[in-house]
Amino acid sequence: MSVFTRAGTTVLFTIGPFDATLQGVDFAGQTLVRLLAISTAIGLFGLTTEPRSFVLDLERRGLSPRFAFVALATLEAVPAMVERASVIASAQRARGLDTEGSIRARLRGLLPLVGPVILSSLTEVEERSLALEVRAFGKPGRRQLLWRIPDSGAQLAVRSLLMLALVAAIAGRLTGTFPALP
Amino acid sequence: MLLLEGATYRYAGYATEVLHDVDLRLDDGEIVGLVGPNEAGKSTLCLVASGLAPASVGGSLKGTLTLDGTPAAGLETHELAQRVVVGFQNPNTQRSGIAATVFEEIAIGPMNLGLPVTETVARTREAIARLRLEHLVERDPQRLSGGQAQLVGIAALLAMRPRHVILDEPTAQLDPAGTHLVGEALRALAGTGASLLIAEHKTDLLDEVCGRIIVIDGGRIVLDGPTAAVFDDPRLAELGVEPPARARLSRALVERGVDPAVVGQAIASAAG
Ligand SMILES: Nc1ncnc2c1ncn2[C@@H]1O[C@H](COP(=O)(O)OP(=O)(O)O)[C@@H](O)[C@H]1O
Ligand SMILES: [Mg+2]
Repeated sequence: MSVFTRAGTTVLFTIGPFDATLQGVDFAGQTLVRLLAISTAIGLFGLTTEPRSFVLDLERRGLSPRFAFVALATLEAVPAMVERASVIASAQRARGLDTEGSIRARLRGLLPLVGPVILSSLTEVEERSLALEVRAFGKPGRRQLLWRIPDSGAQLAVRSLLMLALVAAIAGRLTGTFPALP
Repeated sequence: MLLLEGATYRYAGYATEVLHDVDLRLDDGEIVGLVGPNEAGKSTLCLVASGLAPASVGGSLKGTLTLDGTPAAGLETHELAQRVVVGFQNPNTQRSGIAATVFEEIAIGPMNLGLPVTETVARTREAIARLRLEHLVERDPQRLSGGQAQLVGIAALLAMRPRHVILDEPTAQLDPAGTHLVGEALRALAGTGASLLIAEHKTDLLDEVCGRIIVIDGGRIVLDGPTAAVFDDPRLAELGVEPPARARLSRALVERGVDPAVVGQAIASAAG
């Protein structure tokens, strides 16, 4: 009996009530390889690409400056928020707030931090947006970026090869050279 | 020339007016100081004279703002930014929040204008040199002292090469050396034909760089005249404005019977 997704005819071995069929094992292997391919690709991207450079390069290649601003500001805002939170935590501790001890005590200690952290970020929003306007942030059209991410000949070669491989894989699938899963 | 005529302004959602029939004229190359007690309306006047209020801040304005002959009312904010810039008191809100280094932070304004890279770099270098920030160019703009951040904020405005500059308490976080540096930079800017309005509590700085002082109280201009005349005016103390050291010294000497002409000469020669 096969309780998993695929029924199969060729039984390889049996564990208790379960039969491992050739088709089932084949499917499992293919799924595993796909998951591995996807997760290594994402992992490699994360490890090799600095988010900041990525956004700036996208803008150089045509991403809207507005979208790039939002992405960059978010990247920069996270460490600033963390820093602000730690300053406020110290201030609250100085007033006798307990931020250590049992999980319950810590959770109770968290509440008096959340309000000030969010509020203090919000109050500056208007002045911040005015300061951005003064520096012509709303101007439509492209910016001439100062940043240029170094792109060596070797990188270009690898990129081109990978693109070719991708095209070949798709072509292979379409022509039936690499058949889809049964 | 920046010309504000008959400005009466009210913030959005408030019934009372904060400025009453204010006239302000800044000629090219002129540096004008703005003083007055707390809540007098200095910051509000900075917003109105820069066109940000009501265009971006909201509220209602009676009266007109004209920039080099062009009415400000019809201008988009980025067009406004190429004519007049305004700097606020809190350097943290001046930061773009997207630059990784001080150099980039200062370059962002010219870059937004769509200038070619060489022009952006030239303007950025010039602004850096004006405020002697060469030693900070590689630093993270989020990790500067208050004074450093204030200088970087001013440099970022100068890089826009504005015709008119309005600064709201630009030296609040600066030590005497930093304040002096700002004074020199403002004078150099005025030398290029720009007009400046500076709201400041440090009357010594204003005494050094301004040709004219405006005193505002309760949203009305109460004194407007040459720097020496305004700072020597006895009404100043009643308005909660501390006159510069020079004015206090000469008053004390004259009160003790020293000949005013001699005092004037001595102070002029001491100031070099
Ligand atoms: N954003 C605002 N909304 C409503 N009222 C404001 C706002 N900013 C300032 N005011 C009010 O306007 C008046 C003038 O304030 P302000 O221009 O900040 O004075 P100053 O800079 O001289 O201390 C004060 O009465 C103040 O309460
Ligand atoms: Mg103010």
